Amino acid sequence: MRQTSLVFVLLALVCLPFADLSIHAADPWLELQRLGIGLLSPDFPGWTSVRDALFSTLAFALQGVALGVALGFLLSLGYASVVIRLIASFLRSIHELFWALLLLQVLGLSPLTGILALALPYGGTFAKIYGELYEESDKRPREALGIGGGTLSGFFYTVLPLTLKPMAQYTAYRLECGIRSSAVLGFIGLPTLGYHLETAVRQGDYATGAFFFYTLVVLVATMRFWLRPVLIPVYLGLAVYYLPPIAQPDGALLTQFLTHDIVPAPLRGGGELMPWLAALWQGQMLPGLQNTVVLAVLAFAATALITLFSFPFSSPLFGSPRTRTVARALMVLLRSAPEYLLAFLGLMVWGPSMVPGILALSLHNGAIIGTLVSRYTRTMTLREDAVEGLNRYLYEVLPRIYRQFLAYSLYRFEIILRETAILGVLGIPTLGFFIDSAFSEMRYDRALVLLLVTAFLNIGVDTLARRVRLHLHLRNQPETL
Amino acid sequence: MLFSHALRRFGQALVTSLSFGLLAFQATAAEFTFTAIPDQDESSLQQRFGKVAQYLEKTLGLPVRYLPVKSYPAAVSAFRGDQIQLAWFGGLTGVQARRLVPGSEAIAQGVEDQAFKSYFIAHRSTELKPSDSFPEGIRGKRFTFGAKTSTSGRLMPEFYIRQHLGAAPETAFSALGFSGDHSRTLALVESGSYEVGALNYAVWDDALAKGQIDATKVSVIWTSPTYPDYHWTVRGNLDERFGAGFKEKLTKAFLDMKDPALLQVFPRSGFIPAKNEDYTAIEETAVALDIMDKIE
Amino acid sequence: MSAALFTLDQLALAYGDHRVSQPLTLQIDAGEKVAIIGRSGVGKTTLLRTLRQQHADRVAWCPQQPGLVPPLSVFHNVFMGRLSCFPGWFNVLNLLYPLKRMREEIQALLSPLSLSNSLMTPVEQLSGGQQSRVNLARALYQGRQVFIGDEPVASVDEVMAKNLLREICQRHETVIVALHDVELAMQFCHRIVGLQDGKIALDAPTHTLDAGQLIRLYQDA
Repeated sequence: MRQTSLVFVLLALVCLPFADLSIHAADPWLELQRLGIGLLSPDFPGWTSVRDALFSTLAFALQGVALGVALGFLLSLGYASVVIRLIASFLRSIHELFWALLLLQVLGLSPLTGILALALPYGGTFAKIYGELYEESDKRPREALGIGGGTLSGFFYTVLPLTLKPMAQYTAYRLECGIRSSAVLGFIGLPTLGYHLETAVRQGDYATGAFFFYTLVVLVATMRFWLRPVLIPVYLGLAVYYLPPIAQPDGALLTQFLTHDIVPAPLRGGGELMPWLAALWQGQMLPGLQNTVVLAVLAFAATALITLFSFPFSSPLFGSPRTRTVARALMVLLRSAPEYLLAFLGLMVWGPSMVPGILALSLHNGAIIGTLVSRYTRTMTLREDAVEGLNRYLYEVLPRIYRQFLAYSLYRFEIILRETAILGVLGIPTLGFFIDSAFSEMRYDRALVLLLVTAFLNIGVDTLARRVRLHLHLRNQPETL
Repeated sequence: MLFSHALRRFGQALVTSLSFGLLAFQATAAEFTFTAIPDQDESSLQQRFGKVAQYLEKTLGLPVRYLPVKSYPAAVSAFRGDQIQLAWFGGLTGVQARRLVPGSEAIAQGVEDQAFKSYFIAHRSTELKPSDSFPEGIRGKRFTFGAKTSTSGRLMPEFYIRQHLGAAPETAFSALGFSGDHSRTLALVESGSYEVGALNYAVWDDALAKGQIDATKVSVIWTSPTYPDYHWTVRGNLDERFGAGFKEKLTKAFLDMKDPALLQVFPRSGFIPAKNEDYTAIEETAVALDIMDKIE
Repeated sequence: MSAALFTLDQLALAYGDHRVSQPLTLQIDAGEKVAIIGRSGVGKTTLLRTLRQQHADRVAWCPQQPGLVPPLSVFHNVFMGRLSCFPGWFNVLNLLYPLKRMREEIQALLSPLSLSNSLMTPVEQLSGGQQSRVNLARALYQGRQVFIGDEPVASVDEVMAKNLLREICQRHETVIVALHDVELAMQFCHRIVGLQDGKIALDAPTHTLDAGQLIRLYQDA
């Protein structure tokens, strides 16, 4: 484990010279002051818009996750097959925002666009988690009976009953992510909380933005009270009624998209493909790959540091009840804040460079892993005469949580990599930046090629992370994804 | 009972505000929808263009809806997908849209749009002074455009930057950003996050008149030469769908728009006829800057 | 002359890559009731496993590790013994809506095992002893000709152990069980095979043996 950590530190050091870490202290104070005032005095923007945004956020999340569960479950049944694993890997390697941009072109700004944009990547993730849970389930019942888990009876009697509980736990956790993702889809025009949040923050109307942000925080934080298993069918029914999952199918448009728009421009015009690809490689893919990897690795390193620094504050093994309350509240806020918004605020304060991007990704993800690690420390009992303070941290706690911490972090690395995609707005030319440009320029052929490159990168890292995890014997923890 | 009733109302409200495709599908063929590129403060767009919808509804005698969109490409996509039949596009987005939808036409432009211009603005820390010639001193600064496909916030400024600095913006500046819209460009340069930026002159003048700009922090340092910009574009089959002569009636509605409150929405002093050829230069520039592919 | 059902011919037992015995030769005929005895770790389990593999589809298998599915009820865990006798759709249906006929059949089987009050109780709520009886019930429910069990009565009291072994012997033509209780072995089995130091140290009809000979298998050689 020490070696693996060292490899990551080295990797971060190698990436450091490629990153623009300059800070441009300008006049951020006025803006920060306005932000602070806004956060402290949220402005109620009217019942109608809050209600509509709240309901559609939930409706998209519920339907998207439900469809994702169905898709993921189907795929998980064949998870032993390499082809299915690749399909699942591909589905989850593309960020939901990009799925949405892609679907927008053929299904328009319709409910189905948002629902599918969530269901496809979530389905890929569910397939992986369910499939791995099957693989790790107790084999003894199957051995005792001499039947395989692959038969219908074998699966339903000896595999599913054993994995149903962790599957349900993971699915519930993903619904929380789904609500956040649903809100984020608002950034590109679906009428969720993110729509109003982005509009408000973009205009510096922090008080209104704060209200929508707090709505999202409360929605996620209170999930365990309103999300009862028995009520899920009811919620789902209401969601379908409220937001029927339909779109206006336009055959001609779909045909045009598939047979013309995504065909590389030179092939349409009788030119040559290779120079076009070479130019794209030189101008966008290569710098995009480099910036994506550099940003992801540095954000990952910063995430690890923030986690190790922050988890003691919310752990019962350190501090007082008061410091814990404050720390937990802060971590809930950071967990709920979409990275995109954090990055935008960071841009105001530190100016354009990789710094706001790294901080946005690492604060958000550090708060997530920090929460998981400190939750894990609650299960630890120390000797009554255990040392206090820093010594306790170094000798008693750190060695015990380190394996867990590494497992969580490795999972998060894949997510950080996907999330770099949406930070292109800072002018950091990640692959996501170029994909966004291609969509802006209505060049779907380029968008598709770049999306494929992104998918390959993510699948590669996914495979690598899986290897490292196996190598370190880190078990799957459902809540880590 | 009350709950289910309220719920149904929410449902209807949402479907109205969301599933435009669905509505177009269900509603009569006479449902006419338009949008405008969200080039500045979004929250006021609904209010501003709601007035235009009312005006068109009265003048044309059929239901007209304004569909707010989140970004420039979203406006073009909605036009392409026939979720809207009319749009207030910028020069470049209009060219993009007409390429994607064969048969569509530019019908009217603002009086000011024949000779539109961009302002280059700078934070006072740069100590750049207003000048008539291109401010070469912006080289190496932190620079932001507006939306990636904005004509006044990206296309034309980039054209002049390449012409005068002899380099692509990525290399000419120490940092390059795309703020998303003109208001944000203004805010980011005013806060000093970016030292220099380029934006739509009308947005600046409007904000200045309303006292929203702190002149001690940011000022205009250069005004670009003029070029054609914003205009109304319609899909090609309007007469078939909304009755013969509909396109002409629509064009006339814009040309006859005299109410200052309505014109302030854009803000323009009036509208004049436009045609696709007015934007050939914009298209050529976009191709030259590799923002568009060459015509096949 | 009865037919040889199981045959080992100079076969060294191995568990995975780990060799646990010297080459063994053993023959068990249909109709025999055989007890395998020996110290723990001597390779009884591996021997039983090897024998089972020779006729996997004719053997009712009762491993020492119960291998139950804890969230499922006693009924379902026992029913699992016969999954391969029914079509998949039927099994899935029976998982959701246990059929009356099946319930009665299994209920009847549970009485002699003192499990009759637990038919629909999830196995995870049962004690260790109860779980191992569920394990046994599953093997009995398979209704095969041959029973191979690894300490099938280890976790019950003496009286019940006798009842259970009687039940096992009545229901199966051929029985091979590993037992640590020498007295039980002598009471129910006609033949005793003793393992020691990776070899078959003893293989004789029960009536030729006395307890003392068997006890010696548990002492250092």
